[in-house]
Amino acid sequence: MTRKTLVAAAGMAVVAALALAGCSGDAAGGRQKLELWFWGAPPQQQQVMKDVLVEGFNASQDEYELQVTFNNAVDKNVQVALTANKGPDIVYGSGPAFAAAYAQQGKLADMTPYAEKYGWQDRILEPIYDSGTVDGKLYSLPNSIEDIGVFYNTKVLDSLGVDVPTTYDEFVDVLDAADAAGLYPSVTGNQGWKPVNQNYISLFLSQVAGGKTVYQALQGEVPWTDPRIADAVTASAEFYQDGYLGGDDYATLNFDQSMQLLSAEKSPFFIGPSLAFQFASNYFNDEAGNTEDLGFMPFPTINPELPSPYFTLGTTASLSINAASKNPDGAAEVIDYMMSEDFTKEMNRDWPGYWAVPLKDFPLDPADYDGLSKPFVEAMRQTIDGVNAGNYGFFAGTFFPPATATLFTDVDGVWLGTQTTEQFLDQVESTFTGELDKGLVPPLPEPAN
Amino acid sequence: MTANLAPPAVAARPARPPAARTRNAHLRKRTAINYALVAPALVLSIVVVVIPGILTLLFAFTDWSGIGFDFAFVGVDNFREILADPVFATSLTNNITWLVLFLTLPAIVGLLTAALLLRRKRMRTFYQVIFLMPYVLAPVVNALIWQTIIYNPNGGVFGALGIPSPTASMQTSLYAAAAVDMWHYWGFLTVVYLGAMRQTPMDQVEAAVVDGASGWGVFRHVYLPSIRPTLMLMGVMTVIFSFLAFDYVFLLTQGGPAHSSEVMGTYAYAFAFSSFEFGKAAAVGIIMSFFGLIASVVYTRLSRAELMR
Repeated sequence: MTRKTLVAAAGMAVVAALALAGCSGDAAGGRQKLELWFWGAPPQQQQVMKDVLVEGFNASQDEYELQVTFNNAVDKNVQVALTANKGPDIVYGSGPAFAAAYAQQGKLADMTPYAEKYGWQDRILEPIYDSGTVDGKLYSLPNSIEDIGVFYNTKVLDSLGVDVPTTYDEFVDVLDAADAAGLYPSVTGNQGWKPVNQNYISLFLSQVAGGKTVYQALQGEVPWTDPRIADAVTASAEFYQDGYLGGDDYATLNFDQSMQLLSAEKSPFFIGPSLAFQFASNYFNDEAGNTEDLGFMPFPTINPELPSPYFTLGTTASLSINAASKNPDGAAEVIDYMMSEDFTKEMNRDWPGYWAVPLKDFPLDPADYDGLSKPFVEAMRQTIDGVNAGNYGFFAGTFFPPATATLFTDVDGVWLGTQTTEQFLDQVESTFTGELDKGLVPPLPEPAN
Repeated sequence: MTANLAPPAVAARPARPPAARTRNAHLRKRTAINYALVAPALVLSIVVVVIPGILTLLFAFTDWSGIGFDFAFVGVDNFREILADPVFATSLTNNITWLVLFLTLPAIVGLLTAALLLRRKRMRTFYQVIFLMPYVLAPVVNALIWQTIIYNPNGGVFGALGIPSPTASMQTSLYAAAAVDMWHYWGFLTVVYLGAMRQTPMDQVEAAVVDGASGWGVFRHVYLPSIRPTLMLMGVMTVIFSFLAFDYVFLLTQGGPAHSSEVMGTYAYAFAFSSFEFGKAAAVGIIMSFFGLIASVVYTRLSRAELMR
């Protein structure tokens, strides 16, 4: 065989191999490939996801092969890919408002037929299910609900000689006591992620103005300049200015650092969303021997006219089906797998904080769990009871239309005195009106209070 | 004697000699080859720069959300709203502050260091590598180093000294981000200036020394005129980069607190990726490019004037 023949044969072999690889691009071992792009969770949590979701789903059927890719820039990647009619089969987004914007542009598939096939409406919390619909059609389901509450370190409370506060006044007394003792009154911060501000303005809108008032504002029934909403914004500014949100270091702390400081007994409290349980597990664990030190409680109700406890309801992320997916049935099967009791139970065993799947009865018993999964399951059961009773307000990042939610991120202008409450709310009203006219407000459940 | 002003009779055009024909054919072939060689870069520029540029200009006058292709023309509404937004004024002012900082501090430090390294022949390469290190590191690494080791109030240098973190204050946040960017940038300027200074003809330097010029005199009257084109080019590039500033501000302060360190890049980013207002983001992008365009025109004019000398 001459050298030329050898080269030609090798070239043909390469071309054939590439062609075969190309042919098998969408199929893995005879199965259809399904893609899910997920945020860049820490390695330990990625492993839980691979073990429970990827392996669990792939073993549960023989038609599809699920692949999950982890990336911190997932929001931007999804946005660009969907615009180009590409991207993953299962679309991981930031909530119903996100999904509504994409659904209006025809980028997400109507999941209503799958909801009927799998009985999602009977299984999922009604207000949460409704919030994922646009013009009566379902476009998204959240992977988890969350509440903005208070993490506390019992050791620090003991050292301050106080009990876990049950009222807002008691809570403020402990914040002052911690400050006087040279501790951070509470730890939290928006370093690296400015939308963290949305947690605290949402909390005050819920706790001062009440969920019903915010609901009315989101329906366009009352203006955002309503005095009850203005009072809430001003109250949030006073809370910040009193140093109750991370002292002077709000802009230089993030959730992970805050949880580390809480475990290092630098503060009695970390005020934040229940999803922060996932950061807590890095610092409160059996190895450190301090799991029992961490507790979580709903934020003490500020407005005495509101019931107690009162919740600020949010969702951590949403799941949708890409309209350009070649396997929408497979994508729906994955979402159905994630909306199941077994999946919820398994995920919460090793990854507390991110998987309070909004099942109506949330059939998880805290007694079946240990470590931080136990307080998380307890907290989520309490939140779901609150939602069923209608005692909740709305987390801006989940339920507000995108430009309005972004404006609420800028509430730190009021906190730091560059804007008055009135100027801020005038801007909100103007932006929101435009978005309401465009139909960008997701359908919302009406709270009882 | 009278001059014959009549035009000479047009003689019949002689046939071109075969040598000229061959030369013309050769020139045509060369031209075709040249166009072929330029074509890939030209096509790439058209696809990557010109078309997106035209689309950006188009979208700046629409309410495009960045998803799908449904949009309506809104005239100059985007520009009107941006210009009325106080955050835009803050961003523009911050970009100008950024420009002033970068045209002075790193340029002076870089020039000074290059002048010092010029005579240090043995260790020059070593120092250049050291100074260039922050420049070759990814911005996210540099930002993380400063955020965790320097600015961190819990365990960082500022925390140990009891000084509040500059990224947390509205008065200092922009300077805190600019300091990190300048730290990463000045080494690059040093290497560029040193390279330019080493091109200065040694006979000029020696003549100046023989004439009794001091160290400053040699720098002022020999080296500085010699590296003038390099200084000018780096100055223009600094102007362009300053209006495109994004990464260090985004990584260290996200434009906060309360927009105090917002620059036009982060301002546009929030429109594009947070509030789905791509039309406005495109409008900010056009304004940013406008400043870069001015710098480019000034540079071209100055370069031409330099050549005409």
